[in-house]
Amino acid sequence: MRRLLPILLLTAVLPVSAGAADPVAVSVLVPITGFLALEGTAQRNGAVLALDNPPAGVTVTYQIADTATSPEVAVTALQRALEREKPVAIAAPIFGTQMLAMAPIANRAGVPLITVSGTAKLTELGHDVVFRFFPTDAVVKVAQARYAVQELKLSKPAILYQTTSYGQSGHEHLVRALGELGVKPVLEEAIDPGIKDLVPALERARAAGADSLLLQLHSGPTALTVRQAHGIGLGLPIVAGSAMHQPTTAALVEAAQLKGVCAETASSPMSDPRPDVATFADAYRKRFNAEPDAFALGQYDGMRMVLAAVADGARTPQAVKAWLASYRHDGLAMSYVSDGTGNMAHDAVIVCYDGSGRGPIIMKRYDAVDGVK
Amino acid sequence: MTRFDRRDGVYLAAAALGIGGVVIAGDAYALRIASLVGIYAIAAIGYQLVFGRLGLLSLAQGAFFGLGAYASALLTVSAGLPVPVGLAAAVVVPALAAAVIALPIARLESHYVALATLGLAQLALLAATNLEFTGGANGIYGVPPIVTNSITIGPLDVGSVTIAALVVPGGWVTLISVWFGVLAALLVARAVTRGDRSAVLATLDNAPHAAAALGLNGTTARLVLFAVAGGLGGLAGGLQAHGLGVVSPAVVGFEVMVTILAIAVIGGRGSPVGAVLGAALLIPLPEVFRFLEGSYLIAYGVVLLAAIILMPRGLDGWLRDWFPRRAPAVPAPRQSTSKRPGKPLVVQGLVKRFGGLTAVDGVSFSVPAGTVVGLIGANGSGKTTTLNLISGLERPDAGQIRLGGEPLFERPAHHRRELGLARSFQHPEFPTGLFVLEVAAVAAKDRAVAMAALGRVGLADRATSLVSALGAAELRRLDLARALAAEPGALILDEPAAGLTAEERAALAVLLRDLATAGLAVLVVDHGMDFLLPLSDRIVCLEAGKVIASGPPETVRQNPAVIAAYLGSGAAA
Repeated sequence: MRRLLPILLLTAVLPVSAGAADPVAVSVLVPITGFLALEGTAQRNGAVLALDNPPAGVTVTYQIADTATSPEVAVTALQRALEREKPVAIAAPIFGTQMLAMAPIANRAGVPLITVSGTAKLTELGHDVVFRFFPTDAVVKVAQARYAVQELKLSKPAILYQTTSYGQSGHEHLVRALGELGVKPVLEEAIDPGIKDLVPALERARAAGADSLLLQLHSGPTALTVRQAHGIGLGLPIVAGSAMHQPTTAALVEAAQLKGVCAETASSPMSDPRPDVATFADAYRKRFNAEPDAFALGQYDGMRMVLAAVADGARTPQAVKAWLASYRHDGLAMSYVSDGTGNMAHDAVIVCYDGSGRGPIIMKRYDAVDGVK
Repeated sequence: MTRFDRRDGVYLAAAALGIGGVVIAGDAYALRIASLVGIYAIAAIGYQLVFGRLGLLSLAQGAFFGLGAYASALLTVSAGLPVPVGLAAAVVVPALAAAVIALPIARLESHYVALATLGLAQLALLAATNLEFTGGANGIYGVPPIVTNSITIGPLDVGSVTIAALVVPGGWVTLISVWFGVLAALLVARAVTRGDRSAVLATLDNAPHAAAALGLNGTTARLVLFAVAGGLGGLAGGLQAHGLGVVSPAVVGFEVMVTILAIAVIGGRGSPVGAVLGAALLIPLPEVFRFLEGSYLIAYGVVLLAAIILMPRGLDGWLRDWFPRRAPAVPAPRQSTSKRPGKPLVVQGLVKRFGGLTAVDGVSFSVPAGTVVGLIGANGSGKTTTLNLISGLERPDAGQIRLGGEPLFERPAHHRRELGLARSFQHPEFPTGLFVLEVAAVAAKDRAVAMAALGRVGLADRATSLVSALGAAELRRLDLARALAAEPGALILDEPAAGLTAEERAALAVLLRDLATAGLAVLVVDHGMDFLLPLSDRIVCLEAGKVIASGPPETVRQNPAVIAAYLGSGAAA
């Protein structure tokens, strides 16, 4: 024992050599509570699934913190993570307002933020730390408008959009995309997330002579709109925003009420027949007892790309950031590559429900909508 | 100036502990939490003035917080002005907004205050979310920090010694700025509530009828406290904006208001230092429970609930149980040199209707200076309503009241005290947590005059007792002392002898006679004929709102109408 003691002490004092198996830290900062809890939980689950199954030779530790729905909580969580966890990358909130507060701080620290937030401004601020693994409104809104106008031949849409950044940004891009297709909405109405009775807005759409509803609402309001439109017999086709594709949204609506409802999204893992996506979906169901959505898959793909960077030798935040900015990554939902500002996703799909169940069918893929290939 | 209290030592120790903790941790995360505690403490100190001191459940403090944040962000980001200018606007703009809403809001009763201010907060949230210049739902980003880089102080040459330069990192500068704000907020809160202002505010809050009768004008107090609260809320919001770098509609959201309210309650309602303690407990708490992941809010809620159950008066109230407030210094009693002469009270044709019921129907009588007039009648005959009309708590439908020849009809209650009218109540109200001397001094010229009034009612030796320690009879005497301390020319008393022993009634009768002898006009309502008839120079008897008899006590006692309506057949014997 006396001979062993110096060796034990030496082992304790000397730093462990930096080998490939040294753990790297990743922080998961997402909204688990509040009005974005569904989306944030999907983000969390996608990130956890990726981080629990790192590539060979990579050991990763991670901590999860709730950012709720205020920038204040998100910034506090970020500063705690930066100071106490020293992460090489951070799974960051879907909530754009939080991201706008976090991005400058992460930029000063040089730590990449991996997000599925759709807020366009995020990648327009000149920071090089935001990496978005979900198509921006400049992609998905174009897909939504094209599908409505070119495939469904709709010409007099009414737009209902949320009063949040998600709603306002989506509304702006949707109107622009429709304009480029020569269509002007007959009604554009902002809906507060707290409003439960959508019938007045739906009746105004009917009175305006709308031939369709284009939605840019969060999960709960989307479900309410679909149910109440069915309830008053509005009979208009609905092309919704990405919230509609979430299984948790569809679960709030009767299958029959979903007939004729379509939605834009980045992917639809629960109904995607490709084998690797199906394997992901099965693992997700088994682990979390829930259906995966595009946010979960986007966050999963994002974290997988971070782990690929680490496996390739990028072991500092700066190295991971540089790797993400430079390489293409074939994820499950799509192939990701930066457009130079951190927008990694450039494809969109349209899913529709046939009324026989709550699982959507992928109706059309729109690849490289923004021209980035 | 309030004296140093033993609790202040506890607060200083807690502050030293907090500073030590931050210095030891020392990283940006610890600095941020400490800054957040300071920011919410400032907002809650302001809120204590409205919620704690005025007793108004305003739900607009969160909106003032947001208004300050937006004001500072707009000026520094959109207009490119320096941060100090932005912070100045963060104080001034919400203070002005608060002053504008103060008067209409303060006229409302408790739950209507909550509803009205909640409506205003919702309007602010809608404006922040939907207006273009506020940046919509994304808000305003790129708000500059208070300082961008470290600050270097020195080197300093002190005589032959050179003190090396001190480099203060930016995070520390922000923290120090915020806590200077806390100190300033505490000083402002102390300035607007110092001395007898605190007792005045407590009386306005807990004893509104007494406050009106004592001539305490709540309008100015409400205006000042609302404006100060708004300004402090705005300052907190401005500091938050520059600390975060972003202002979004979340700063106007209800969650901010709930946080401020929770801090005020947990800290101890009405206590500025309690607000700091509450913020120091509540703001870091979610961080402590982060390891619980999705369940941390449950743990947070449990602690919050436990704190409310175990410390219903908050941290400051709990500390007050251990370290009671020191009793005020007792001055030598002194009658004011500017004591008013007695003033005759004349009532002419007074009418008051409540819907279809005419409670007072053409009542006329007079109370000459230097006399005692007794007002009698059965329950419901209109006696208390008459007193309420005279003291201004009710507005007559017709008639006139004159005090020393001055018409009172158009004057609010608090003006009548200035003219020399004071009253006591059948069920006197007192503010809680005050000492007897403080209560008596609330409408007095100074505490020496209040001591003289306490001496007249036999409560001088109870001056340093808490009001809560007084018995029912003592409270009646305190009510009378409070009225006498205002040095009135006419005094109206509503059942002052109710519940008193025979000895106390006799002493009270002597006192009232002395007051009349000193020149006061004294009007007394009482049911005790053995007390009132020997005391009074004249008696006025009411029946169904009308005067059915008036004159010397013996004459009225023999009046058949009075006997039939009130005294009964045995009284005349």
